[in-house]
Amino acid sequence: MDRLLDMALSAVLLAGLYATMAYGLGLIYGVLRVVNLAHGGVIMGGAYLGWYLHDRLGIDPYLSIPIVLVASFIVGVVMYQGLVRRLPRGPSGGPASLLLLFGVWLVLRNIAYLVFTGDDRTIRTAYSSSSVEIASSHVSVNRLVVLGLAVVIAVTLHLLLRRTQTGRAIRAVAQNADSCTLVGIDVNRIYTLTFGIGSALAGVAGVLLATLFSFSPNSGSSELLKSFVVVVLGGLGSVFGVAVAALIVATAEVFAILVLPAYLTTAVGFILLVLVLVLRPGGLFGTRVLS
Amino acid sequence: MTARPPALFSRRASIGFLAVCAVLAVLPVALDLSAYVHNQLTFLFITIAGALAWNWMGGFVGQVSFGHAAMFGLGAFVAGRLMLSFHLPPPLCWLGGAVVAGVLALGAHPLLRLRGPYFSIATIGVGEAARVVFTYWEKFTGGSSGLSLPIDGDLKYQLYWWALVLAAAVAAASVAIRRSSLGLKLLAIKADVDAAADVGISATFYQDLIFVLSGAVVALSGGLYASFLSFIEPADMFGFDRSISFVLTAVIGGVGTALGPVLGAVVFVIVKTYLLASHPDLHLGLYGLLLIGVILFEPLGLTGLFRRVMRGIRRAPGTAGQVKS
Repeated sequence: MDRLLDMALSAVLLAGLYATMAYGLGLIYGVLRVVNLAHGGVIMGGAYLGWYLHDRLGIDPYLSIPIVLVASFIVGVVMYQGLVRRLPRGPSGGPASLLLLFGVWLVLRNIAYLVFTGDDRTIRTAYSSSSVEIASSHVSVNRLVVLGLAVVIAVTLHLLLRRTQTGRAIRAVAQNADSCTLVGIDVNRIYTLTFGIGSALAGVAGVLLATLFSFSPNSGSSELLKSFVVVVLGGLGSVFGVAVAALIVATAEVFAILVLPAYLTTAVGFILLVLVLVLRPGGLFGTRVLS
Repeated sequence: MTARPPALFSRRASIGFLAVCAVLAVLPVALDLSAYVHNQLTFLFITIAGALAWNWMGGFVGQVSFGHAAMFGLGAFVAGRLMLSFHLPPPLCWLGGAVVAGVLALGAHPLLRLRGPYFSIATIGVGEAARVVFTYWEKFTGGSSGLSLPIDGDLKYQLYWWALVLAAAVAAASVAIRRSSLGLKLLAIKADVDAAADVGISATFYQDLIFVLSGAVVALSGGLYASFLSFIEPADMFGFDRSISFVLTAVIGGVGTALGPVLGAVVFVIVKTYLLASHPDLHLGLYGLLLIGVILFEPLGLTGLFRRVMRGIRRAPGTAGQVKS
């Protein structure tokens, strides 16, 4: 019984990270209808930036978040302005955008190899191994902080999209870009901004990831898969739909240890992806991601 | 009067194609090629077959797969297992691998309902899952220490012609598919699934068909490659890099064109041999830049470039300098 409780708790803690990973992918897809295949690469890049700032300059990973946020926002803006903007819109742009962003991902991986070598890295801080006791089970401080930050990020994103003029513009563009040009919304500016925000979220998710798990230039594909599962399950309707979906994915992954041999748990993300795509392609809440 | 469809192969093209194949077939004997060049050409033929087969799915149907290494590795390991455990003649082993991969590809049927990015991301998952499963399935693949196949000098020498036959057959099949009514149906599915369904083209059936064919041919090339290397390990055969190489050869050559991937494979093998031997740490980035460059500037790759140049030459007399179409 205790073990199940422990597992449920760690699923909740993991869900925060998964939700943070998924927001960026979902936002970009919802507004631009482009699946950012470089998403995993940006997460990996954020993890390395956080690691570099901590290891070389001694900045606490959680305090480095604003720096990572700005840096990956700029990466996103450059990616949109330099590359994605030049693609044809509509169905013919589909495979092209996938291949293009896949190319970006390969370049990001190679840069990480050249700069940081292929070794596995982790961010280890003074409090990495400390834990607190909650309901008679030990919970790592790091995981709690990550969950807390994830909640902050979710609430901020929600307020940004619902309460600000820019957020309303973003949602309007997601609904109908053509009509937006009629009411004076600079659609291209919104696209740029969205790509930047999506990328910034991925970068922050990378830092959070780096404080919990080890990573290497090859990281990113399982993060991309999980983000995608969460987005499909949660739909693009709301920030909280994504959070619920992240909780489901994290729970499935944690509890998979009970039924699957240990080495197969890495494949759980994939199995979930197939199950979700085949059984509930419309997501949990009926807000279809793809028409 | 009934309308007759144009012949699948024009006379001139058939003669040219057969001539190229004949020249390549006698080349090792006529020029007394060194073992290095001989092997390099064998590798090229295997690459051509894989790239063309990927293009059936990625180019003709427009379903970009980032997981074809699963098929390639499956073909290699089934063939290897058949050789080691049952001592069957190699061609039968290769075919066995192709059949197994084809049947498993049919098992991927639920995935084929997915389109566009859904399909592509699912294939990343399939590729990664296959790599994990086969690396840990030690009884079958030998785990991370891999399988050593019986080394046979004669077979390695003959592999040149086996690979040439495979590449030639796949190239002919590519043109045939492209120019037949099947090719038109695939084009319709690629352009608009719903509209294709409205005129009675079952996207599911044709996608299944092409996926099985594409998977089987890639598995066949994997089997030949296993005999070519005579040592195979799952991390390499099922690796992500392997999946990327199919995408890359097809995209560089011209995704969706009948024979573009042949050009792509030639470039790929040359780049791999000369450039990457000296800078192995740059290959991912170089591939990435190539992908970005092709998609942004010439979506049909080398084929597109070639067509543009040909158009330029044709217009050149008198109108040089204003070849803007």
